[in-house]
Amino acid sequence: MYGWIWAHLPGPLYLRVIEAVVLVLGIVALLMFVVFPWAEPKLPFNNVTTE
Amino acid sequence: MPPRPRPVDPPTEVIARVEDDHYDDDEYYDEEPAKDELPPDSLGRKAVRGFGEALITMGLVVLLFVVYEVYVTDLLSAGKQEDATAALDSEWNSDVVTPPPADPNRQSKLNLIEGKAFAKMYIPVFGNDWKFSVVEGTTDKHLEIGPGHYKDTAQPGEAGNFSIAGHRVGKGAPFNDLDLLESCNSIVVQTQTQWFVYRVLPMSSEVSGWASNPKSKEAACAGVAPLSTTLGDAYAKTVGQEIVVPTQGEVIAPIPHQVGTTVPADKQARLLTLTTCHPRFSDKQRLIVHAIETKSYPVADGFVPPEMTEA
Repeated sequence: MYGWIWAHLPGPLYLRVIEAVVLVLGIVALLMFVVFPWAEPKLPFNNVTTE
Repeated sequence: MPPRPRPVDPPTEVIARVEDDHYDDDEYYDEEPAKDELPPDSLGRKAVRGFGEALITMGLVVLLFVVYEVYVTDLLSAGKQEDATAALDSEWNSDVVTPPPADPNRQSKLNLIEGKAFAKMYIPVFGNDWKFSVVEGTTDKHLEIGPGHYKDTAQPGEAGNFSIAGHRVGKGAPFNDLDLLESCNSIVVQTQTQWFVYRVLPMSSEVSGWASNPKSKEAACAGVAPLSTTLGDAYAKTVGQEIVVPTQGEVIAPIPHQVGTTVPADKQARLLTLTTCHPRFSDKQRLIVHAIETKSYPVADGFVPPEMTEA
């Protein structure tokens, strides 16, 4: 998977490194601001109220 | 020994450039495989590698989730808490402060709006910087802002049970150290017109023998005694700290653990109850802290209750 992505990044080496970093940051941001806030209430870690 | 005659170099033969596309030919590699060349990818190899990479990726995602839960939510909540506090401050500063009524505990009801802060809360033993604005409501949205007041429980200073929920991990983690509170520690609540000082009740291990406990003679413990001795058996289960299962909503009843009985408001103690998750990182149980109001002061310019400097 990672090898395939690396092989398909266009441009010379330095450009590929930049592209890879941007990709990683984009995925981290997607997780942090979209996926985790959505998933968190569904997980049993942080309920603090009594019923 | 005479030097050996150098062999005569044969004349350089110019070889015409050839297209080297035969290097791509599989046969070429089969004859002379390079030493550090991996064998060609078989389907099985690809599958195993893909599986391994997927596992590593999932591990990284879980690690990232921990970072999110413990640190990133803190940052997001800090902003919301700041906004709520700023809104509360501007509200308090803009309104004409009505002088407190003759009996400071018989003040008119606060107008509580869901999601809006209405009081500030301080726990001096947690340090000067421990302060949170308490919002109305206990949904996830509300608790992201700060500690949330259970709707329909008493208001600060009222008879009954002023109950607040707060996160223990992430989201500002206001109640992270709730398990460290000891009996007689003060919890100060400030509204627009009043300061209320609550003190943690004796722990269940301290209830018997409280009178002979040297701690009960300390100044901080003035007005603090096991409720079963001062208010009767209805309060027998109301102690400083308890750990309950999440379904035990009776801990925030006007008289904790007494749901069926109706007791007139003037016979009820003025309690404060804090709830958070227990153990940390789990929602198996709830950590509950009960405190009783021992003092109140009207808000005045430059006045800070002496309890605020207790450490």
